Amino acid sequence: MSKKRTPPAKGRRSRRTTKPSRLGRLVRWLLKLSLVLTVLAAVGLVYLDAQVRSKFEGKRWALPAKVYARPLELYPGQALTMDELKQELKALNYRFVRRADQPGAVEWASTRARVYSRGFAFPDGAEPSRNMLLTFSGDRLTSIRAADGSQPPLVRLEPMLIGGIYPKSNEDRDLIKLDQAPPYLAQALVTVEDRAFYDHFGVSLKGIARAMWVNIRAGRFVQGGSTLTQQLIKNFYLTSDRTLSRKLLELPMAVLLELHYDKDEILEAYLNEVYLGQSGSRAIHGFGLASQYYFARPVQELELHQVALLVGMVKGPSWYDPRRNPDRAMERRNLVLKMLFEQGHVSREQYEQARRQTLGVVKQRSLHKGAFPAYLDLVKRKLREEYRDEDLSSEGLRVFTALDPLVQTRSEEALADSIARLEKRYGQRASDLEASMVVTDPQTGEVMALIGGRDNRYTGFNRALDALRPIGSLVKPAIYLAALEQGYTLASPLEDEPLSVKMPDGSVWEPQNFDRRSHGVIPLHRSLALSYNQSTARLGLEVGLDKVIDMLERLGAERELKAYPSLLLGAQALSPLELASIYQTIAANGFRMPLRVIRRVTDAEGRELSRYPFTLKQQVKPELVHLLQYALQEVTREGTARYAYSVLPDNLNLGGKTGTSNDQRDSWFAGFAGDRLAVVWLGRDDNGQLPFTGSGGALRVWSEFMRRERPEPFVATRPAGVEYVWIDEATGLKSDPRCEGSRQLPFLVGTAPEQKVDCGLENPVRRSLDWFRNWFN
Amino acid sequence: MKKFVVTAALVALVSGCAGPNPYRAPVEERGQTQSRQPQPGTVVPAESAPGVKVQSVERVPVIRQQREAREEAQPAPQAAAPVPAQPQSPAVVALLETARQDSSSGDLRTAQSRLERALRIAPRDPEVYIQLADVQRRQGQFLQAEQVALKGVSVAAGQAPVLKRLWRLIADIRQEGGNSQGAQEARRKAESY
Repeated sequence: MSKKRTPPAKGRRSRRTTKPSRLGRLVRWLLKLSLVLTVLAAVGLVYLDAQVRSKFEGKRWALPAKVYARPLELYPGQALTMDELKQELKALNYRFVRRADQPGAVEWASTRARVYSRGFAFPDGAEPSRNMLLTFSGDRLTSIRAADGSQPPLVRLEPMLIGGIYPKSNEDRDLIKLDQAPPYLAQALVTVEDRAFYDHFGVSLKGIARAMWVNIRAGRFVQGGSTLTQQLIKNFYLTSDRTLSRKLLELPMAVLLELHYDKDEILEAYLNEVYLGQSGSRAIHGFGLASQYYFARPVQELELHQVALLVGMVKGPSWYDPRRNPDRAMERRNLVLKMLFEQGHVSREQYEQARRQTLGVVKQRSLHKGAFPAYLDLVKRKLREEYRDEDLSSEGLRVFTALDPLVQTRSEEALADSIARLEKRYGQRASDLEASMVVTDPQTGEVMALIGGRDNRYTGFNRALDALRPIGSLVKPAIYLAALEQGYTLASPLEDEPLSVKMPDGSVWEPQNFDRRSHGVIPLHRSLALSYNQSTARLGLEVGLDKVIDMLERLGAERELKAYPSLLLGAQALSPLELASIYQTIAANGFRMPLRVIRRVTDAEGRELSRYPFTLKQQVKPELVHLLQYALQEVTREGTARYAYSVLPDNLNLGGKTGTSNDQRDSWFAGFAGDRLAVVWLGRDDNGQLPFTGSGGALRVWSEFMRRERPEPFVATRPAGVEYVWIDEATGLKSDPRCEGSRQLPFLVGTAPEQKVDCGLENPVRRSLDWFRNWFN
Repeated sequence: MKKFVVTAALVALVSGCAGPNPYRAPVEERGQTQSRQPQPGTVVPAESAPGVKVQSVERVPVIRQQREAREEAQPAPQAAAPVPAQPQSPAVVALLETARQDSSSGDLRTAQSRLERALRIAPRDPEVYIQLADVQRRQGQFLQAEQVALKGVSVAAGQAPVLKRLWRLIADIRQEGGNSQGAQEARRKAESY
């Protein structure tokens, strides 16, 4: 600027010349020009000042929304194995050490673990960092003892970061405050990059002079004279082109910045802005994110040698990249350590100790991005119903979801295992198999895990949400429930006989059973358990398509359902997520709960923006659902899903239904235990035929998942309006526990049959004969 | 054999009448032949089947053999006996207690999130539903509050004192929500326990 002010002085002198001359005209012209320039410069300065201030005070960075998994709750009595805890802590990047004496570390013994948690500021209250001893017994966590001797009844670990919603520029940051920075970070930075930082006013003449001297002596450019402030300006406000105009702007802006803000504010901004590497298309800015990227731990937990490495990398993140150029990085790190020692910031002992450390860089990771693509996809869709894209990618929102990474992992493993077995068994005929799966907690309606395809790292087609496939027999529970509501009982006799229905378009609908046979008169519960088509179609037509559709809608179907008779055998296509919502209502005694993936959204400071509370609505009388639940248990005990109990414990009281679409193109299973509900679909994207049915395919995946999951048994207390009555299986008449062929069935009170079979209980002679027989036996 | 069965049935009947049997799991063992004792408390009259074609069975006597051995597995008929309340875990007790404090100091939203935590841990504990419904009632969300309380009723089957409290709460909720007829019905239900 000073250069621009020189011409006016000349002008003043020249004005005294009386004779207008060429020179005089030139001088006058210069004078005017310089006046204009001065004004422009002043305006420019004001403009620069405004820019400096607005950017520094306003939103400095576009912060992507952060999406978190559910936090793992720890409490005595919880069903949690040490292995599961290990898996969780590993994913949270805890260090497995001999002595857990700082946050983010854990030490293991045979039945105990000492966990030093990091603490987390949850929107509903801060969870402190805790040093605690966890004791396990069998499959359970039995006690939690804090270091101070107290026994907290309930502890939350910090939630896992599962992804973010990034702006187009792919910028990402983990903001840190200066007081959160690890020891030595600020000193090291100042020592290495700008020793006069606390003394200069944004520009260091001494620094520039020294840099020039060094450069001249070396005969090439080896040192820049930039202060931290200048570097910040450069990164913050200016483009990275090395142009003269940029250089000219940098100096006044640095001075202006220093004029307005104190050193700590500037240093904090620097810590978050500095460029420290590249992960694919994403630039790693700031020490917070760099710490996660290189060391997989929060910046607060960095040790001296790690701090030194990051500080050393500021000079050239790619030249000193510890992954690609470890030797160079090591040399640079040790130089930084030496400078710290020479400046008296660390002792000789610390220096020597740190020098001996390896680089300690973790294997390159994708920073969680892409670990749970199907679930994140669902989260984003829900968020977009309420938030604008630019807010999601720039406001630093925090999104707390219900994803349970342990459940997600188990479902992925179960799927991979079962598919491998199916491929081995069916060979070529099981090629190109695709899959999707939804896991919910039927008690709360939360979606715990989601699989959108076999390749669960791939963010493509999300079959759990978008693949609409005919649901086959999964439709049947809705038909039977509608029938029960119309007054049928579980013992009502149904006719499993051929039928043909003339369709409006002239075609004839003639449903077949899977075994191509008809089974005559059978009780209603049996027809569902064995998934007979002809009896079901007759029942559905009797009850009425409108009633069945109404029931499906009450249970949770939201799509428009077409009232064709073929609906009764599952011609209607639905997504696995929609089916989960329907079965959820059945598992929850007729209370419909919207499936939830997000628990809460807060702004960057933790203030709540929206919450998605537990809501429910009773859609079907619990008494009727109880009857259906009985029949769905019969499916797994005695019906088409008997396979389940060959791998699962007997006491689980599973309820569920197999489904196979026409020509065996889709293999389905939907079912529940006490605290888990899962819907599994197997099929091919080209809609090709499968070598197995619902029970041969999807049920295998489902059972394998439940085996790993170890869910709670399904327990439904009998509603007051239901009674259990002994029924003769073959006729559906009332019977007695002592009679052959009898079984207990639940009925709405007063609807059980009145006529009884006779097995001699009313006949004293027979009884004595029997007694004889027993005696002789 | 038969004598044993009869005795077993009698014993079951008697023990069932004697009150909650602490040795019996809420779900009956499979294959066990026990007689079902009547549900204590009210019997809600079931709706009669309105105009439905259920085939009537002819009244011809059907003769069956008496049973000699255990039958194969059948789906577990679910608990008919009064269910003793499950012991609460300290975690749930702590959450309920702090939620109570939040709610009495007027911080209903925090109370609500605590209760939802409790719900995830103990989804079959009626106490959680009672408190959650009450918090929602105080927030003026009467429809939700009623549904939550009704879910409480469905998990509390067999626990008469809890059912009484739940129906009283439902009566209050309906009353405040302007449904005085429904409130009266709920009150009658509460009285029946």
